[in-house]
Amino acid sequence: MEGVGINGYLAVGAVLFVCGVICMATKRNGIGVLMGVELVLNGANVNFVAFSKFGPLGLDGQIASLFVIVLAAAEAAVALAIVLNFYNNHLTIDVDRANELQG
Amino acid sequence: MSVSEILNGLIYGDLTRSIEVFCPEVLLCVTVIVLLLLRLFSLDHKIPPYVIALGGSVVAFVAVLLQFVFFTTGGAETNLGAGETLFSLFQLTEAGVGSPGELFTGLLMHDAFTLFFRLGLTFFLVLVVALTVLTGIPDNEDGPDFYTLLIGSTIGMMVATSANHLLMLFLGVEMMSVPSYVMVGFLKGRRSSSEAALKYVVYGAGTAGIMLYGLSLIAGLLGTAEFAELGPRLAYLIDGDGVTLSNPNIVVTLLGVMMVLVGLAFKLSLVPFHFWCPDAFEGAPAEIGGFLSVASKAAAFALLVRFLLAMTASGGGELESLNLYLGLALGVMAAVTMTFGNLAAYGQTNVKRLLAYSTIAHAGYMLMAVSAMLVITNAAESSGWSAAQVQDGAARCVEGLMYYLAVYLFMNLAAFAIVALIRNETFSEEIEDYNGLAHHSGTMTVLCVCMGVAMFSLLGMPPFGGFFAKLLIFASVWNAGSIHWLMWALVVIAGLNTIFSLFYYLRVLKAMFIAPRPEGVRSINMSGLVGAYVVVITLPILLMGASPLQNNLSATARYVASVLFP
Repeated sequence: MEGVGINGYLAVGAVLFVCGVICMATKRNGIGVLMGVELVLNGANVNFVAFSKFGPLGLDGQIASLFVIVLAAAEAAVALAIVLNFYNNHLTIDVDRANELQG
Repeated sequence: MSVSEILNGLIYGDLTRSIEVFCPEVLLCVTVIVLLLLRLFSLDHKIPPYVIALGGSVVAFVAVLLQFVFFTTGGAETNLGAGETLFSLFQLTEAGVGSPGELFTGLLMHDAFTLFFRLGLTFFLVLVVALTVLTGIPDNEDGPDFYTLLIGSTIGMMVATSANHLLMLFLGVEMMSVPSYVMVGFLKGRRSSSEAALKYVVYGAGTAGIMLYGLSLIAGLLGTAEFAELGPRLAYLIDGDGVTLSNPNIVVTLLGVMMVLVGLAFKLSLVPFHFWCPDAFEGAPAEIGGFLSVASKAAAFALLVRFLLAMTASGGGELESLNLYLGLALGVMAAVTMTFGNLAAYGQTNVKRLLAYSTIAHAGYMLMAVSAMLVITNAAESSGWSAAQVQDGAARCVEGLMYYLAVYLFMNLAAFAIVALIRNETFSEEIEDYNGLAHHSGTMTVLCVCMGVAMFSLLGMPPFGGFFAKLLIFASVWNAGSIHWLMWALVVIAGLNTIFSLFYYLRVLKAMFIAPRPEGVRSINMSGLVGAYVVVITLPILLMGASPLQNNLSATARYVASVLFP
């Protein structure tokens, strides 16, 4: 059977990226926005691994994606803690309700 | 490659040299670990956490300072008797710290530019830790967490300034951002603080994701992630195809570069990626505002300069015009950023928010230098500049940027520190509550005078450091005007902005000095130590404006900048 080739992987990465950006832009729920961020990061990860398999990037791409997975976990932990803190003070995680600081 | 080969490669490669140069970061990591262990063994009630944080950051600063001295003097000439002993204490060698080059198999870079920024960052860390000791923002209970985040963020910034690889660029940006999200929301019970942190983390995580996607495009298309290789590979990639928008390679590379610039522009709070800045600074404690406005901006500027220089390294022919447009686009962005920052600052009633908009404006002034640097390095040949002139002109731009950052460190820290110290006494950060503060006696008067110095320096008044910093940047950008008229326009816009910014800076001072002291306000007694600290951080603003230090600093900045343009 013929392999998928790099274009298929890049298309998946691009679709993940676009879905993530749309999710970040339209979701009002704080956790929904964070899910969008995860999609974007994983879209980039698919790119890195695909480039390292098919292109001259070599192991650099795979190492990069490993680092990104770890960083995404750290960022998610911090972001969820902040969302929880916001909930404790405002009793909602609707990001549109974060509108007291203005000017 | 077998595991033993990899291990041997690590041990006999550049590891010893890398560890020697990386020593200050390792020291800061050790400080973080000690702080965490303190809690584990419940020693944090016996030893105050700030002692360890202060000690660790001072040792790290001394380590970087020694590296800097060793690097610039070659280790041979020291008029300090103790110099030799200290050099041997940190085991500085000619082959290690003494020689510039790549570290950790090309992941990090070691040169004068990096050293200058690491020196500034560690020094700033010492000042911020000292400030938090005075204001008491983290109590003993929260101390270990707070200093862990603060030091961790600084390590990230130091990694970012020495990044020599796209992965390190991303890691550096994330390492400095993630702890700062938490620090912004550090006052747990406050509504405004939690809202500020939420806004910061949502914008920050979003732009970091976009930046990573851009990095993946660049790395994949060029087949490398090392800065030194990016420029030549790009030139090779489009060789013969021509720079047109119908060439997919060009389009995708441009897209990648723009996405990376989005991430950096967020850190620099450039318009239109500035939304988080005023909110985060208003909600966060003023100490954190001061830390973020100086340190993360300095690190992001170092990254921006390095990344842009790497991407445009081998301009040549058609790529040059593209790079010129990139430089001009940054120039337009700088003009919009400073104008917006100054206009928005005008109507503010909260001092922290006013200072936040002022930092946006200052990011605009500093971005001018980066844009002029790109214009000079890429379009000078076609307008008849000699190679020496190009080198000189570009070095002057970076020199201006570094001098500005050095002065900005003190003047912005002084402003935020005074806001924090006054908040501790009056429990307010509104301008109207600053009325008549200078009429109090004692330390408060000193604070008000120092605030005056910081504000006049931010404004760019002649005897202060801020004036010479602005002068250096304006002159270097004006110099680039003979290549493209837009640079002249940029200087004019910046000049008008400087005049306009007079009004809102003076509003704060007017409240302090001219407005009458409200009836029935209790008198304020502050300790002399607070006054001494504020004077110590304000004095350099004066010295950098009107003393021989100005020549020394600009000569150092000049030497450091020239390293980037061999």
